[in-house]
Amino acid sequence: MTQHPHAELSAYIDGALTPTAQAAVEGHLVGCGLCRTHVAQLRATASLLHALPDPAPSRRLVPRFARAPAWLAPLRTLMTLATGAAVFLFIASAVLTNITFLASSGTTALSAPEAARDAAAGAPQPQAGAATTNTPTVRAPNAVGSPTSAAFGAFGSPTPPGAATVTDDAQKNRVDQASTGPSAAPAAAVAPQDAGRVASSAPQRPQLLNPWLWLVIALISAAIAFVLHRRLRASV
Amino acid sequence: VLIDRARAGDTNAFEDLARREERALYRHALRIVGTASDAEDVVQDALFSAWRSIASFQGLSFRAWLFRIATNRALDHLRSRKRRPELPLDPAEDEEMTWAEPAAPGPDLTQLAGDREALAFVETALETLPAEQRTALLLRDVEGFAYEEISVITSVEIGTVKSRIHRGRLAVRNVLIARGWRGPEG
Repeated sequence: MTQHPHAELSAYIDGALTPTAQAAVEGHLVGCGLCRTHVAQLRATASLLHALPDPAPSRRLVPRFARAPAWLAPLRTLMTLATGAAVFLFIASAVLTNITFLASSGTTALSAPEAARDAAAGAPQPQAGAATTNTPTVRAPNAVGSPTSAAFGAFGSPTPPGAATVTDDAQKNRVDQASTGPSAAPAAAVAPQDAGRVASSAPQRPQLLNPWLWLVIALISAAIAFVLHRRLRASV
Repeated sequence: VLIDRARAGDTNAFEDLARREERALYRHALRIVGTASDAEDVVQDALFSAWRSIASFQGLSFRAWLFRIATNRALDHLRSRKRRPELPLDPAEDEEMTWAEPAAPGPDLTQLAGDREALAFVETALETLPAEQRTALLLRDVEGFAYEEISVITSVEIGTVKSRIHRGRLAVRNVLIARGWRGPEG
């Protein structure tokens, strides 16, 4: 055996030769140690290749063919619009609440005795007390914001109980304003309590002006819109 | 049955079939194109394209058909990538390959399967191979396709398949020998 069948050895290992060629290589190997070594090496190489690690993809590669329901896209658009509307209402109500607060703090201060009488007439005892203690409290911010509140007095005056919807936001505002004067510090401490109590005495005013309500709605609808968008994008 | 349903337009059947080969297609594409994100894109594109042309599926096994699409995508990707223009995709087939012989006694090659270091050398050796040889070798030794199937998957004559597999395997063997390993005694 002088001619080594080198080029045939891999195909021989894989059983890819014709029966005649396979038998010829077989015959050669009997008498050729070098080719036997090569066959063993190629076989070992093949099994090393077979033993290579099996990496996994980092994401799903099969496209999602399941059709998204027909209502998914309009719903996403709707939720996106709802998010926008809620954000707008959040800003609007925040602004409005501040204006209402400033306006009402002016009118309440001016008509404090009246407000106290109303509260005393229409509500149980504790609230009457609250309304009474309210009078000195609201003067503090009024001293700071009187020009503004005078300007918006017309807006707030027809509905004095509107002051009752004063929210956390406005309370913070009040604290800020109150803290501008050192003497107003005790008033700031009382104010939030008063606002809360007065709010409970005026349930006929809905919470539509609560900016936090709108913020929460905006966040929820944004989250829903985002999830719907992801779902739509994943499908073909 | 699943294949018939997939051909009839059943997306769930196709998804089931594709998911079975997803990982194998990925490892195959990864060793052709070299980077994970490219390989993922290639396989995703290939599966999408497979779905669109499911009506033309015939002859091959479904697995071989998917590998054919993915292999073509991966090689196209490699060709379009300008970063490695020096890499010849298909060298002259008639060039005689030499057998490197072990310089010094080393560990037995047959004992190396499972040895992480040896497998790392194999990966490195694969990277140095021309893409067409690498593809044929992977289809044979990693995926276990028959020569006839590889011939269809890569659209070349069976003689070329034989040559590519042998050259690729020999090149990997030579790298290992160069690293100091001694082949097993015949």
